Amino acid sequence: MKKTSTVTPVLEVKDFNLHIGEHHILNDINMSFYRKKVTAIMGPSGCGKTTLVRTINRLNDSIEGIKFEGEMSLYQKNLLDMNPILVRRKVGMVFQRPNPFPTMSIYENVLAGYLLNGISLTKEEKEHIVEDSLEKAALWDEVKDNLHRKGTFLSGGQQQRLCIARALAMNPKILLLDEPTSALDPKSTARIEELIIELRSKVTIIMVTHNIGQASRVSDYTAFLYMGKLIEYDTTEKLFTNPQHAQTEAYLTRKFG
Amino acid sequence: MKTASTLQTRLLKEICFKILIGCLSGLLLAPLLFILFYIVSKGFVALNWDFFTQLPKPVGMTGGGVANAIVGSLILVGVAAIVSVPFGVMVGLYLSENQAGRFSEVVRLCVDTLQGVPSIVMGIIAYTWIVLPMGSFSALSGGLALAFMMVPLITKSTEETLKLIPNSLKEASIALGVPYHTTLLKVILPAGRSGIMSGVLLGLARVSGETAPLLFTAFGNPFMSTSLFKSVNALPLIIFNYATSPYQDWQTIAWGASLLLVAFVLGLSILSKVVIKK
Repeated sequence: MKKTSTVTPVLEVKDFNLHIGEHHILNDINMSFYRKKVTAIMGPSGCGKTTLVRTINRLNDSIEGIKFEGEMSLYQKNLLDMNPILVRRKVGMVFQRPNPFPTMSIYENVLAGYLLNGISLTKEEKEHIVEDSLEKAALWDEVKDNLHRKGTFLSGGQQQRLCIARALAMNPKILLLDEPTSALDPKSTARIEELIIELRSKVTIIMVTHNIGQASRVSDYTAFLYMGKLIEYDTTEKLFTNPQHAQTEAYLTRKFG
Repeated sequence: MKTASTLQTRLLKEICFKILIGCLSGLLLAPLLFILFYIVSKGFVALNWDFFTQLPKPVGMTGGGVANAIVGSLILVGVAAIVSVPFGVMVGLYLSENQAGRFSEVVRLCVDTLQGVPSIVMGIIAYTWIVLPMGSFSALSGGLALAFMMVPLITKSTEETLKLIPNSLKEASIALGVPYHTTLLKVILPAGRSGIMSGVLLGLARVSGETAPLLFTAFGNPFMSTSLFKSVNALPLIIFNYATSPYQDWQTIAWGASLLLVAFVLGLSILSKVVIKK
């Protein structure tokens, strides 16, 4: 971690605490996310990893009884103080289950962030964004002849890549992936993992996974979260080969979780 | 041996039960088919070009039609739809978005109660609140009376439809930085479009045959009127007036109007099924 501390992080989480009602969900989280790196957040169910990622997109705002303290600085600006709508346009999100808009075509789904926000684009801009985003999401070749069909006709794995394209179309600073393969079959999962590795050079990715293998295959950094606490955070290589904490080691060797 | 016999009784029971529910389902068709057959046999002779294009003729003159009642019914149902669709859909949207909460409970109770209000009561309320202050029977008052019969139907079907839309769809939109209200209008409502449409069509089918609320609101009118502020005729009204008259040819026209009304309602019901399949 010392080596990377000289690089300005894209996102810096400082002394972050989150309560929902009486429950202390996230406890004193301090971590930095680096530009154009893939960071995996892993941990057993209920450890708070999804809550953490959803907070970065401000999706937790509407939960009743939620309270947070601390800071999350997106390029030195605390996103917890920003207008959530502006935060969400800078931070893209892909969910556990693919959720393309059922009333929209593939083409419209990719442009959904612009269309729904009433941002007008010329036809050339639209076509450029659609092709570029689908290319980045490794879906272009499969759908280029069917752009005006409904997105829901695609297979689950293709739908998930469509959702990734939809998020990339907005040119986000950070792409959040919340267990993006948990609803997919092994073949589609492999395809998404390849895609994440390809995307590494283009965008900063933070992904939640409870698949240890997945974290080791695709990420540069890995964080291990347990019972709302950040137990260990390091380069993936170091964390997997030489974990510093007994709990991390126990989790990696599947003694619990 | 014992197990074999119990198996046989079970099978027998199962067959008996299947026959029973099959017969009951068949029996349910009978009244509808009988009604349809009877109306068609009585009313079909009344249907001709004049029936659709002419005004009612005075007693003693042959011919005449129900053009004013057809136009009047369309106006009434049109007014009802214009008022009740946005109103009902918005309330349904509110209820599906706020499923818990005391206010939602109260609103839901009101919707249920409104649905249970007898149509004649709806008519007298419209009479007292709209006809009396305005000083005349009118298409507007009739349309509004029908609208408040439709609102609960649309509210409920909208709420039920929207509840089935997965939350993940809303999150997908919110996560793209789309404001909440835009998400509801541009993502959630379109996703429930076919269910909402189907509810609207069923509501229209339901109120287009209503007579009681129209008796002292739209009132009936032997002439053609397209004004919102004058009394208009309507198909259920003409059926009520003509069927109870002693004249043979008026009764025939009442049967013709019944056939037309049933065909309209049937058409709307079938359309609502087609819409939901899309």
